[in-house]
Amino acid sequence: MDPVAPASTAAQKRAELRRAVVDLRARGLYSSAKWAAEQLAGLPEAEGKPPPRTRRSRSDIATADEEDDLHVLAKSAFDVKDYRRAAHVLRDCTFGRSFFLRCYAAYLAGEKRKEEERVETSGPLGCGNACNKDLDVLEAELCAACQGGNPDSFIAYLYGLVLADRERKSEARALLLASISGYPCHWGAWQALQQLCVDCDVQAGLSLPRHWMREFFLVSLCLESQQNEEGLGRLQTLEQQFPRSDWVVAQAATAQYNLRNFDEAQDLFEVLLERDPHRIEGMDTYSNILYVKEQFAALSHLAHRTAVTDKFCPETCCIIGNYYSLKGQHEKAVLYFRRALKLNRHYLSAWTLMGHEYVEMKNPPAAIDAYRRAVDLNPRDYRAWYGLGQTYELLHMPYYALYYFRRATQLRPHDARMWCAMGQCYENEQLAMYEKAIRCYRRAEQNVDREGIALHKLAKLHDALGQRTEAAYYFEQNLGRIDAERIQGSDTLDALAFLASYKKDMGQLQEAEVYCLRLLDYGAPSKEKAKALLREIRSMQQHAGFSSPSARSMSPDSPSTSPV
Amino acid sequence: MPKVQAAALTILGTGVRGGPQAAHTGLLPSPAKASNCHTMEDAYGAPVEVFTLAQAYYMGKQYRRALMLLKRSELVDADVRFRYLAARCLAECHDWEECLAMLGGWENEEADNMDMQQDVQTDFDIGQEVSIYAAMCLVRGRAYDALENRTRAIRWYRAALRADPYCYEAFQVLVDNHMLTSEEEAEMRLQQKFPEENSWLELLYRAKCKKYDQQDTIAATLEELERPALPSTSDEAEGPSDAPQAGHGGPKFPATPASRPQEMPAESRMSVDGRRTRSMRSLATPSGPVGNGLASAEGGGADVVMRGPADDAEEAALGPGCGLANNLDVLVCRAEWYYHLGAFRECYQLTSSVLESDPYAMEAFPVHLAAALELRKKNELFLRSHRLVEEYPDRALSWYAVGCYYLCTQQYENARRYFGKATSLDASFAPAWVGFGHAFAFQDESDQAMASYRTATRLFPGLHLPLVGMGMEYQRMNNLHLADLLFLQAHKICPTDPLVCNELGVLAYRNRHYDQAERWLQRALDRVPGRLSAVWEPTIVNLAHTYRKQRRWAEAMEAYEKALGLNPGQPGTYAALGYTYHLQGNSSAAIEHYHKALGLRPEDTFTAEMLTVALQEGCMREDNF
Repeated sequence: MDPVAPASTAAQKRAELRRAVVDLRARGLYSSAKWAAEQLAGLPEAEGKPPPRTRRSRSDIATADEEDDLHVLAKSAFDVKDYRRAAHVLRDCTFGRSFFLRCYAAYLAGEKRKEEERVETSGPLGCGNACNKDLDVLEAELCAACQGGNPDSFIAYLYGLVLADRERKSEARALLLASISGYPCHWGAWQALQQLCVDCDVQAGLSLPRHWMREFFLVSLCLESQQNEEGLGRLQTLEQQFPRSDWVVAQAATAQYNLRNFDEAQDLFEVLLERDPHRIEGMDTYSNILYVKEQFAALSHLAHRTAVTDKFCPETCCIIGNYYSLKGQHEKAVLYFRRALKLNRHYLSAWTLMGHEYVEMKNPPAAIDAYRRAVDLNPRDYRAWYGLGQTYELLHMPYYALYYFRRATQLRPHDARMWCAMGQCYENEQLAMYEKAIRCYRRAEQNVDREGIALHKLAKLHDALGQRTEAAYYFEQNLGRIDAERIQGSDTLDALAFLASYKKDMGQLQEAEVYCLRLLDYGAPSKEKAKALLREIRSMQQHAGFSSPSARSMSPDSPSTSPV
Repeated sequence: MPKVQAAALTILGTGVRGGPQAAHTGLLPSPAKASNCHTMEDAYGAPVEVFTLAQAYYMGKQYRRALMLLKRSELVDADVRFRYLAARCLAECHDWEECLAMLGGWENEEADNMDMQQDVQTDFDIGQEVSIYAAMCLVRGRAYDALENRTRAIRWYRAALRADPYCYEAFQVLVDNHMLTSEEEAEMRLQQKFPEENSWLELLYRAKCKKYDQQDTIAATLEELERPALPSTSDEAEGPSDAPQAGHGGPKFPATPASRPQEMPAESRMSVDGRRTRSMRSLATPSGPVGNGLASAEGGGADVVMRGPADDAEEAALGPGCGLANNLDVLVCRAEWYYHLGAFRECYQLTSSVLESDPYAMEAFPVHLAAALELRKKNELFLRSHRLVEEYPDRALSWYAVGCYYLCTQQYENARRYFGKATSLDASFAPAWVGFGHAFAFQDESDQAMASYRTATRLFPGLHLPLVGMGMEYQRMNNLHLADLLFLQAHKICPTDPLVCNELGVLAYRNRHYDQAERWLQRALDRVPGRLSAVWEPTIVNLAHTYRKQRRWAEAMEAYEKALGLNPGQPGTYAALGYTYHLQGNSSAAIEHYHKALGLRPEDTFTAEMLTVALQEGCMREDNF
């Protein structure tokens, strides 16, 4: 827990969240209201009965509503998504929540129209360049409203959104910060702020208000920037304050998933489903885990379960897509991912997963398009960057691939897979930058390369560069790993062959013999080679037996000794 | 019609002292018969009677008959009023040479040293009576206009206005047909002297003139016009709501001298409609290495803080104004000013409210249509043009509205056809000519566009837009020298138009005179009235290109980012910004921006190539592990 954050009791939080739910709903900010309600339910159970104040506050709300019938009318129109009507009803309001509702309705109406226009020009999944035509007017109006200094928090939030759309990010950030400081319990504003904090230096420069909401924000930010351990730490403190919050559990599960701790993540998701069997949020991540673990039945069960809850929810479609993908029916999978995206064009993981499917279907252009849309939506999606790199590698464009792999490594510097991929690019004959490739593989090796590609590659590269000592070192390492994990493969063969001849050349004939003997267990060509080597070793041994023991055997590891 | 009679009567009244004015005040609509019977007895009766009869013929459109009567009376040479009426008859017959001869042989004389003036104006007091001298000047001007002798026509119109500042028709012709440059207009205004109590007219004239050079004062002028008048003066300014034309109001000012028989429709009002549209188009083809996408059609600048007429009540404390807040002319001036500022939305709102109360307020239409076009209000244009064509199929304005609709829907063939129709109906309707040219220019038909711009230049010497249009066409044809000449000419006519400065900047850029380009573009931005809106985003991009060429990276990047703030999502701007980063050596930022640009416009080969280069450079250089 942050030491500077003033401690507030659960009761205070409860009161604050309760008020927030009412305030947010009055302004049509439903998802934030839902979030606040979720946290409200996540607080520890209140001691005793709920305070009697609730009743009075409810009557307060009633009177507040009576004060403005127009607001009620507009709100009703807003609730049934008649945004233009809502804005029109309130056309003369210039202050207070009615003003906000009007501007927000106008904003949403513009957004809706924008989407429709985009679909008109470039189809449901096209990337047409439509813009919200209401922004101009809104910007002018909100600018005027904010000019007097100290604007209403919600107005500041909306103005921030508008400016963010206008790519005036620093101004937007300042406004959102102001909004958060004035009204901390508005999760939508924090989320908008998070989207504007892609750069690490920006994150560091934020002066966040000292409020308990800040912890939630920091968790979200940590997870987004792949600082999963830190995020988990923060989540633990949050869990103490909000022991029953599903959000906290879901975030923890996502963090574990990001850390590739699939078992822990799966457990958490199961807890979540137990608590809330109709939950769909975050279940797409769960389905990813089941996919990776190839648990057909569980995935199928999850897909059926969510489909019953809400068939036309983007997450549901995504889960079903994953299911088909696991069954190898890639066309069907793509169909479902596309459906998910039609339902929500900003659904990041569906774009990435669709990219994966297209790679499977050997359709690199479509894959690139999908991945690129994903990184356009959120440049922190390392999977999409990695996918882009892979696809360009398939297309034999190593420069492009390298760039994308580099982006991926920047996002996940501790992921060996990214480093291996990057090393592979440097190895490509178009680049042939072996020094850099070696450095990449070393990084991979330092970061626990589970697949063991890095060791083998390192050995091979050093061998190719004539650095036999290093090569021998890595081959030995790799062999040790292979032996420990009891796996078979061509890597073993290469390692044995190299080590046998290397040791022989170094004069360590006994060790060479051991490797040769192991080599005999394998197929024909290596067997022949091993036999030839053995013969050579024998003759050398004989030779050594006749002549005086040479200095070679005294210092077998000395690299200065040159064989033959 | 009644106005004409009144005017004629007044003229008569002044000439014949003690004449039977009273008898004639109640003239019936068809007086010809009655008068006719009266004079049949004596063909050469009293001058008053002859004059009345001639007038009656004139009213009845029997011009030749009136002429014969007047000539035969032999009073034509003796009395200037007779001569005037005869001249008007000749004018109606389109017998211009004769008409000029009738008015007197002062072709070669200067309009200033007119002995006629003393002759006629013996006891003429400005504002009290209609100046017959001014009326005659006006007819001369019109005659020369018809003979296509522009310089003389202008000279005579100005003479008319100088003789009588209330000669609104002369003013209207001069201003609406863009006969004068804004400098000349200012000079003309200076020469006019208005009596103290009618200062509102001076303000109105000022508001109606070209607005480019009065950016600082126009707001004050309009405010003063709109501020409520003191109760004592309110009747002097005449109930503005019932004065259809401000120029025709006031109890001391019974009628406009020499009102034309048919009311001149106000359709020839300056409407810069095509200007902006054209400007967008032209600005959208900057000569930078990276083409700039079409500027968004949406006019921004909605934040111009302007006072609506309603707010002015509180300003009463500032002193009495003219109380003309609801006057149509003032409202239209206000709307035009909004338009000029690029506040299209306010402009549109204002004209819409005007048209709501008076759906056929012709004065308000050109600016309303122009604003609707800027805002891409396709539906509104459709409905309005339909109504107009139904109601006034013989007016240029109606067909001009149709043309605007087609321009808005990008059906240039049709737009061309209807603009052409409008110009053939009324050649003096400037907006149609400009629109005609633009409709051709949109389809890259340079020759035809040039032809219509050229005609417009000839017809409207005070209008710089056709020159700009021609310059743009030349620029497109890579005839930079001619383009330069034309832009400079346009700049001379209207030195404050930012568009011209922008074009000159682009030209300098293409000639690789980057310092000069920078100066022009900077000047263009300085001259944008009000706040910068998305309309001027191309100018900022051009400036950024110029900075980049001068290797002033930081400034260039700042300008590009400013442009993106005004009009986000422009692939060209992203590409240029990436290129600047690239030139500066920051290949990772360059790559990012190239990607953004390519995401928006995948077919951009330049950016794709630069991206490959940047990627290769990046992989050679970068060492982040």
